[in-house]
Amino acid sequence: MTWFSKSTTTFGFLLLAHACPSSSCYSAYEHSALQSHRAASLSSLSATTQQAAASSSLPLDISLETIVATVIITLGLVLNTAKLRPIQWRVWAGQIERAGEEGARNSSGEIDKDFVGNPFKLLESRPGFVDIRKQRKEFAEWVKQQ
Amino acid sequence: MPTEREFQVAPIVPESVMHNTKALSNLQSLTASIFGVAAGILGLESYSGFLFYFIFTILTTILFYTFRVAPTSLKSGLGAFDTSRYFRTQYEFWAGGVFGGLAGYILTWTLFYGLVRA
Repeated sequence: MTWFSKSTTTFGFLLLAHACPSSSCYSAYEHSALQSHRAASLSSLSATTQQAAASSSLPLDISLETIVATVIITLGLVLNTAKLRPIQWRVWAGQIERAGEEGARNSSGEIDKDFVGNPFKLLESRPGFVDIRKQRKEFAEWVKQQ
Repeated sequence: MPTEREFQVAPIVPESVMHNTKALSNLQSLTASIFGVAAGILGLESYSGFLFYFIFTILTTILFYTFRVAPTSLKSGLGAFDTSRYFRTQYEFWAGGVFGGLAGYILTWTLFYGLVRA
């Protein structure tokens, strides 16, 4: 999924760059430069020519390319966001109980840095309740049997 | 508004709330700058520029809902457009990012407008 979102974003940026410096922005820049140049040369020919040409709207293909690029970039960025986590304690804890570490993997397959693990770990292993004498006796018997 | 008692009965996880809010606001501020670039290239002025921003911000939020919230939220039995699984209030999700990204939008909008038209 991550390569898909990244490539979508990159493609969108390329498209935007084409419309701007090469695709969207550059074309737009070229267009406005050309228009003002034309207006200037026309006004030198005759003083009555209208100045409106300089502020004429962009050609349709550049506008379309810009809008399509924006939508594609947005899609890529949305797909690139982190997975959300449930905010209710019971839903969140239940999800961790069921999925464990697998549920905390981000889009690139690594475990999230702030993954805390089982929220009930404190209740499930309480060192204060360990019967150390019993464990020692069991270990001694196991050693004798060897 | 939930009461103190309800928070005791059904507690929420502050880390998850922060994580979700951060994911959404990061996306909103990033996309706002991109929208500014697009608006500058299109040469939008005054109200149409702000209209452009609001339309695309709403589009972003809807996309975010479709890809990040809806799949698990609908599976867990919540209704359509109900974000209560991941966000505390509906307002926070649907309208929270609109004004957060506006400053970044105006910054790149004016910059690219100047670059292209000047």
